[in-house]
Amino acid sequence: MARRRLRSFVVALALAGLVLGVIAVDARVRTSAGHEAEERNAAIVRATGLPELALSTTSSWLRHPALAAPSAGASEAPLGLDVDPAGAVIPRRAREREILLRRDVP
Amino acid sequence: MRGALLAYALGAMRRRAGRNLAIVLGLAVVVLAFATVLFTSEGLRAMSQRYAADAPSLTVERLVGGRASLVDVADVARVESIASVRSVTPRVWGYLYLAALEANVTIVSSRDTSPLGVDALGDGDAIFGADVAHSLGLRAGDRVAVSAAASAPDEVPMPRFLRVRALLPRESALVGGDLVIVNETSARELLGVPADRATDLAVDVFPPEESSVVAGAIVDALGGGARVIDRESLGRSFELTFDARAGLLAATLLPALLAFLLLAWERLTGLSDEERREIGVLKAIGWTTSDVLWARLWEAGLVALAGSLLGLALAYVHAFVLGAPLLAPALFGWSNVRPALVITPSSDPIGLLMLLAAIVVPFAGISIVPAWRAANVDPDRLLR
Repeated sequence: MARRRLRSFVVALALAGLVLGVIAVDARVRTSAGHEAEERNAAIVRATGLPELALSTTSSWLRHPALAAPSAGASEAPLGLDVDPAGAVIPRRAREREILLRRDVP
Repeated sequence: MRGALLAYALGAMRRRAGRNLAIVLGLAVVVLAFATVLFTSEGLRAMSQRYAADAPSLTVERLVGGRASLVDVADVARVESIASVRSVTPRVWGYLYLAALEANVTIVSSRDTSPLGVDALGDGDAIFGADVAHSLGLRAGDRVAVSAAASAPDEVPMPRFLRVRALLPRESALVGGDLVIVNETSARELLGVPADRATDLAVDVFPPEESSVVAGAIVDALGGGARVIDRESLGRSFELTFDARAGLLAATLLPALLAFLLLAWERLTGLSDEERREIGVLKAIGWTTSDVLWARLWEAGLVALAGSLLGLALAYVHAFVLGAPLLAPALFGWSNVRPALVITPSSDPIGLLMLLAAIVVPFAGISIVPAWRAANVDPDRLLR
């Protein structure tokens, strides 16, 4: 009885292994095909310079949100700090920095 | 002894087949939900990173009142004069509402379409994204009328004709499904951008490590209101966005996990008379408390293994084979031009292990507690 149970268990385990194997092979095939597709897509990005995915998540048109709307990405984190979603560099100009650092400058 | 424990656990699983099957299915549904979020967000994150690498080193925009405005083309010369700047390209791009589609498409000018295998575009020539073309029923060589923006307040917008030079492949929909690529003249006509203005400047920097220094120099050169987006920061922003989205989705699924654990707790803590008698017999024939617990752990582990494997297999099929139909509506919003979600599997074994641990460990924990309590009781009492 116990031997039969163990045999069934081994068969179930083999089936599970088979399913995992099929998934692994499929993932390999998809990854390889996906990399080829990504190279084709990268050509579009090179031609247009627009890298963002065509996902739009709100009622406003959010295509290329990091480029198009300075604060659109922050809507993902309603309690987050109000920062530029694309991490844009907007430092103070050199002269303003000098004035801030040296209070004696008229 | 280990074989005997396993055989006993398998027998116990069969004796309580109905209950165990319900738990396997519940576990599979919970793993399916969490693993789909993980697979999808990992795939999208990897794709975003790949494409961000091909974005311009720096993108220069102008902000007026905190909103993106048009850039003066005269700024090109000022940026070009900065050391390490290899080239500056004024780009014209924006959104155009197509009444026929009841959706916005992205009109973008391109000076070099050779990466797409298409010669230079003439005035009125266009390369259409697969989703736009499919929605409008377009094929290469067709001509299509689109309404252009009026360049003056008193001007009546006139339709412009575009000739379809080529279509972007359908597999590229996630990047180019909604694109209409034209030359600069056509883009200006369609979007109403004057000749001395551009949407932004694409700056190529060499060596790339100098990007942050050049970004600061550009801001100093162009004055207040310049917004410079660094390619590295763009990639980081994509990563944070997908992290935030995946985190939010996972957070919304947490109640399902808690409900499942609660249900499993309720089902597993109440040992039936039969189970108590079973433990009593095992103790009476010489099994130690440790043996009973191991047998129970085997049973819980096998149930968890079956549920997790089933959930993972279903999540794989859902995310990569079917294109996550249950998740896509939450990602794509309302737009009529929806690309097919074709995600390349991207492995994150640590994330997957953490996910399984977060679900399986508490499940295994709650399943041994009642057995441990029963195993500590005198067998004589259990058998009565």
